[in-house]
Amino acid sequence: MRTKTATAARAGASPSGRRRPKHKDNRIAFAMIAPAVILLSIFVVWPLVYAWVVSFYQWSFYESSVFVGLRNFRIVLEDPVFWASIGRGLTFSAITVPAILLIAFAFANLVKTMSARMAGVLKVSIYIPSVISFVIASIVFVLIFEYRQGLLNFLISSFGGSDVAWIGSARTALLAISVPAIWIGLGLASLIMLAGLLDIPESYYEAAEMEGANWFQRTFFITIPLMKNILLYVLVTTFVATIQQYELPLVMTQGGPTQSTLLPNLLIFQKFTNDLYLGYPIAAALLLFLVLGAISAVIFKLINSEKAVDG
Amino acid sequence: MAALPTQQITAPDGGPTEPAPLAKRSWYRSSSRSGGAVSFVFRFLLAAIIIMAALFPLAWMAISGFKARNEVVTSPFQFFPDVWMPQNYTEILADPSFTRALAVSFAGAVAFATLTLAVNSMAAYAFARLDFAFKNVLWVAVLSTMFIPQMAILITSYIVVTRMGMLNTFWVLLVPGAAAGIHTFFIRQFYLGIPSSLEEAALLDGAGRWRIFTLIFLPMSKPVFVVVGITSFLVFWNAYVWPVLTITEPDSPLTQIQQYLATFRSERRVEYGLLLAGSTMAAMPVIVLFLIFQRYIISGIRISGIK
Repeated sequence: MRTKTATAARAGASPSGRRRPKHKDNRIAFAMIAPAVILLSIFVVWPLVYAWVVSFYQWSFYESSVFVGLRNFRIVLEDPVFWASIGRGLTFSAITVPAILLIAFAFANLVKTMSARMAGVLKVSIYIPSVISFVIASIVFVLIFEYRQGLLNFLISSFGGSDVAWIGSARTALLAISVPAIWIGLGLASLIMLAGLLDIPESYYEAAEMEGANWFQRTFFITIPLMKNILLYVLVTTFVATIQQYELPLVMTQGGPTQSTLLPNLLIFQKFTNDLYLGYPIAAALLLFLVLGAISAVIFKLINSEKAVDG
Repeated sequence: MAALPTQQITAPDGGPTEPAPLAKRSWYRSSSRSGGAVSFVFRFLLAAIIIMAALFPLAWMAISGFKARNEVVTSPFQFFPDVWMPQNYTEILADPSFTRALAVSFAGAVAFATLTLAVNSMAAYAFARLDFAFKNVLWVAVLSTMFIPQMAILITSYIVVTRMGMLNTFWVLLVPGAAAGIHTFFIRQFYLGIPSSLEEAALLDGAGRWRIFTLIFLPMSKPVFVVVGITSFLVFWNAYVWPVLTITEPDSPLTQIQQYLATFRSERRVEYGLLLAGSTMAAMPVIVLFLIFQRYIISGIRISGIK
């Protein structure tokens, strides 16, 4: 490239640039994107390509690998533990996602009616948990769920109930780990919903009120239809985030008791750290990636085109 | 009559922002006066419950750090300790591996945020403003890295850094996550909004692209840098799985705060007061950082209107 322009200059192209080079900023542009592109290539693109390669082999750190074709994928797809973890992941999302959506929607509507100062306090309060790490959240909530003398059981027994082994019993453990997930996930969802709510023109509500519409009518006929895209965005991003959750069960329950909190990513992570051969966890991770990557890409496209419209 | 003062409270007290006047209308107009008072009380209660639910676990954690060790989980439950004991806090701070973990996390998070900003803002500027070969192809490639879930590449990233001899080095924590399509995208969006007239004047004066980037764009980047910088600080500070995988030497000087806490929890189960004091100290920096910059962060999520 460089020699080409040099010869062009020597050949006596007019200095005022009658014949401008096609891409005038090549050199500085490549220098500026190089660090990002190189790092992404080594640590994101190559691992992904490599994962596809490894998924066709019986691969381990200690032996030479053997090509096995689609066997790893077949093993994953035929494994009842994998499907059980998917079902569990969907159950976990079915608990956390609606809870986050409903609370965030109520929160956004509430903040809208508050004085400026109160709104500020509310926004900051709901966002603070989302900067806390899953490890710290796990530590705190494990103690709240403690069987003997934990806070939750204290509250229950003071209303006359009996103690529940929240994270110690297979029936309640998944529910228990979804509480910190909701607690942490609420902040971002609430603020995005609030942003969407504030974008709805005032005049719509004023007109509706003149017609005598009550709060429920205004919510169902104005707010929800106009926030359709925001709601869809929050729904899908929250779903994609929760279906991939594994740090909370990793720290709180290690997937137990009796696999009741073994979410899909935790299963993959445990297979990775315990198994000798990496075919299974990599194939499982790629299967999830195909589904989730596609979902996020579609949503991003939707949102980005939306953004382009309102500038 | 009783409802009047409450109505005044929710009225926009000098706020020039739009949504506040609506507050008055959207909840009351259709209901009677007493209904308005009920709705005010209801909303106030709801607000109180939300604040409580959001902050209670953290407040409980911080206060329990002052409790004697057998007092953290007790029956009947006590929110405040019988005797306030700062011992847990002083003791955990006296543990050199705790303070070292805090320091490593802090230094690492600052370095990581700085590196993230440098790498992604340069790329963002090039993609927003420069004209070069294969620009669209490269941009789509960078963007599509956003949609790769962490778990899909976790295992092979681990193999890659192992082969590169990066295990148990500072680099393995710092470098692999520094470039991120989402950050480049976010900064580029911001740069697209900067009027090109500023740049054209500088170009006419003979300034090079690098000078324009460092002297014009970087100083204007503060709002977007705060958001991206804090996000990456948080990512580093809260990281657990990647450090656990890549810092494998026991008692490595690179052990960070989340690892420290997780190990502490599994190994010294009964010392709750100490554990909660440590967790509080580990949560404090990110909360303080958030409180200082919350305006930027909230506006970064495109919140407009109420402040």
